[in-house]
Amino acid sequence: MIKEGKFGTAEATYLITLVIASKTFYTSIRVMIKNTGTAAWYMTLVSCLVSIIFFLLISLVMKRFPGKNLVDIFQLVTGRFFGKILTLVFSAYYVYYAGSSLREFLEMIKAYNLPYTPPSLIIFAFMAVVIILAYIGLESIARLASVSFYPIFIGIALILFLAYPYYNVRAIFPIGGYGIEETIKSGFFRSSAYDEVIILAFIINSIDGVKTFKKVGIYSILISGVAVVFTCLCNIMAFDYTMASENVSDLFQLARVIYFSRFFQRIESIFLFIWIIASLITVGLAFYIAISIFCKAFKISNHRPLILQFAFLTFMVTLLPEGLIELAKINIVVMREYSMIIIYGIPILVLIISVIFGKRGDRQCLKSVK
Amino acid sequence: MSKKKGFIKTLFSYITYKEKKPVKQFYIPETDNEDTKTEQEKNNTVKSQKNRRIKRPVPVSESSKENKPEYEKADDEKISISIEENIKYIKHKFNSPANKDIVIRELTVAKKYKAFIAYIDGMVDRITINNFILRALMVNDVKIDEDSDDKCMLDFILSNILQTNQAKKVDNPDEFMYEILSGNTLLYVDGCDFYISNETKGFDKRGVEKPLIEGVVLGSQEAFNENLRTNVTLIRKLIKNNNLTTEFIKVGNVNKQLCAVMSIKGLTNPAIVEEVKRRLKNIKSDMVLGDGILEQFIEDNPYSIVPTILSTERPDRAASHILEGKVAILVEGAPFAKIVPVTLPALMHSPEDSYMRWPYGTLIRIIRFIAAFIATLLPGLYVAITNFHQEMIPTELLIAIAKAKENVPFPTIVEVVLMELSFELIREAGIRIPGIIGNTLGIIGALILGQAAVQANIVSPVLIIVVSVTGLGNFAIPNYSLALAARVSRFCFIILGALLGFYGISIGIALFAILITNIKSFGVPFFAPIAPKTKESSDLFFKKPTWQQMYRPDYVNALKQKRQAKISRQWTEEEPKYSYERDEEDD
Repeated sequence: MIKEGKFGTAEATYLITLVIASKTFYTSIRVMIKNTGTAAWYMTLVSCLVSIIFFLLISLVMKRFPGKNLVDIFQLVTGRFFGKILTLVFSAYYVYYAGSSLREFLEMIKAYNLPYTPPSLIIFAFMAVVIILAYIGLESIARLASVSFYPIFIGIALILFLAYPYYNVRAIFPIGGYGIEETIKSGFFRSSAYDEVIILAFIINSIDGVKTFKKVGIYSILISGVAVVFTCLCNIMAFDYTMASENVSDLFQLARVIYFSRFFQRIESIFLFIWIIASLITVGLAFYIAISIFCKAFKISNHRPLILQFAFLTFMVTLLPEGLIELAKINIVVMREYSMIIIYGIPILVLIISVIFGKRGDRQCLKSVK
Repeated sequence: MSKKKGFIKTLFSYITYKEKKPVKQFYIPETDNEDTKTEQEKNNTVKSQKNRRIKRPVPVSESSKENKPEYEKADDEKISISIEENIKYIKHKFNSPANKDIVIRELTVAKKYKAFIAYIDGMVDRITINNFILRALMVNDVKIDEDSDDKCMLDFILSNILQTNQAKKVDNPDEFMYEILSGNTLLYVDGCDFYISNETKGFDKRGVEKPLIEGVVLGSQEAFNENLRTNVTLIRKLIKNNNLTTEFIKVGNVNKQLCAVMSIKGLTNPAIVEEVKRRLKNIKSDMVLGDGILEQFIEDNPYSIVPTILSTERPDRAASHILEGKVAILVEGAPFAKIVPVTLPALMHSPEDSYMRWPYGTLIRIIRFIAAFIATLLPGLYVAITNFHQEMIPTELLIAIAKAKENVPFPTIVEVVLMELSFELIREAGIRIPGIIGNTLGIIGALILGQAAVQANIVSPVLIIVVSVTGLGNFAIPNYSLALAARVSRFCFIILGALLGFYGISIGIALFAILITNIKSFGVPFFAPIAPKTKESSDLFFKKPTWQQMYRPDYVNALKQKRQAKISRQWTEEEPKYSYERDEEDD
């Protein structure tokens, strides 16, 4: 079995929170505001709630099989063949996720900062770090996350705070947005944006069992939920829902408008640092998880020989969309609106099967926990 | 006529071909160990082989000859009981008479016991030998005569005659060789199968001087020197505790350098001490000189850019780390103590932080962290901003920079590399320059990094400020190795900044963060209190008042975590019992 090292509750929380919350840097806020208007900020609370419910259901699966990760559970419940197929679906999804996130990042940075730099150079530099992250392993990603968690969140808070002269509280009205039905429907599907929390189920052996799993999952969803709510609210207040639904990256746009004096203006480039590091962690973790799941499915003890192959696949996915429009219409919609069907659907299906057929973790499972 | 002949010969010699006279040049031949054996040794081996082959029964008539007492030869396993054999062995081992350093002085104790002393010239204190060994042995005839029935006199001499403070029996050839080599004097009396080693070390050494690298304003002004004994004593002077343990380990196959491993028994986690000893014992190299080389042999991550072992020349710093539950390694011949395990924040601390009151200590520590940031990133950021993110620079400043750069023919990156290189050149030259002409360096440095370069339109004045501030930042990093790491990484950041702007620098920062958070120092993650997160530390970036620092660092897993009582200032709790009462008139 692949060795992944161990890390504590705090590190796991930082890691998952960063991966979920890094969406605030991208097009996510824009899409939310576009879909639900002024109701966007509490729509995401609905998503949080739905995510927590699904997550608790998944934690029931994990509880039935203590000491086993999701890959093992798939194989125990549905048999080796189907278990492997289900696992491969996840592996493929995370390759897709890593590639699409990287492309989204690339489009943003090209639009805002490096318009003349060849995209391939940006991708290569990015992938190099991702490969090193994956090479050293999960612990390295967790440590990078715990080092950069506070700078990134302080950075986001700083942007939101410094832009306060532009906030117009009246802009959050009409508070109902496009109607409660639309908000709840959108909120339900946007729970996909929080589904990275499932990664915890794959690395449950590195954190300390089901109890920590539950705690970390709920904390991460809540903290990132709060971050998204505030970013969303501030954007609606600063740009109105009409303009906010047209910016490519709302948070970056917010950083751009900060102006205090002729000396203290146009400081958005400083926030590039936190933006890039958050993206590195997101893509790095997704990339690593894709490899790790693959290794666990086929009982490969060393993940390192697979890195280059997966890097190539990710690179291919990155280059697939023709441009930002296609990316936003297909990849991002799949990732943030429909992925929950697979991500939450499959484990819950497995839960139902295991309940119907009365499958449980045996004593060996318990022993391995002890 | 003959003169004419000579002239013609010379003339011919100019136009004819002459074969060059072969000149023998020196070269070092490749030799096997076999070739270096002397002829005599070769004959001996042949003889012994012959003897082995022909083994005949000994006739009765000759058997008495066999039983004749023949002294055993001294070899690497045992010490002979014959004085001649032992002298021969020592001479052979020290390549005497070719090697003039070894002195063997033969004498007669109490006019009847043949004896000798052996030592290495220059390593010993002659006064001790003359007054307390030789005189004691040669003058006390009467004393010895009283108790002379014993076959081996050395036991008697050891307890009654010798007047040296440290004298011990040595019965192992390896050991006595080492005793001689470290400056002790061996005494041997005929008929014994052991030596007595007298402590007579007396080689020249430097005194205890002021610290050169880790100077402080407030705090002790003592530094280690090259003598191991002195260094151990300097630490012991500060920790007057019977559990402070010093273990000695020899490293290096040829030079056999002595290392001292210091820790406090019952406080330091024994696993760290064992690991240090294990690593030291398992160095299989001919030469381990000084602690810089030792560090490379024992560190966890030899390819890491930052040092993972703290090196200090201050006894007080070493003592404070030992008291925190860490281990100090001292090497003979190096004026530094190596502290393990350490973390990155510990490398950024200076002993002065603790000697000052906490607000000042915290302030200078924060300044130091800013300095490290500047030393690593400033030139890279400058290149990135001027090439990629000009919009970040406030308009007036941008105009000023543009104006200053107008006449400079080089792109920014060339300028920066040029200036950084010349700065590095000045630094390196500053260290290597002979002391007598050292003053000239300041003048040259001022010319390069100053007005002259600006006037010649080689660089812009803003850049000079950037480079100078970077240099200052580098000097403010308290650990020399860490400062070197900052120097190396600065160039990486300049390249990344020039290629990809802030994006490149962010990637570089992430890369460094990954590499630094994943190295270990003797099993302790290098970024310990932050990643992985351990118990909150009271002495990391901000320094709490000393009386609040209740626990030792969590990561060393010391046997006693608590270092002081919860209320360390007990006098604040106690009701004072003054012998006088305050009168109203006292105000």
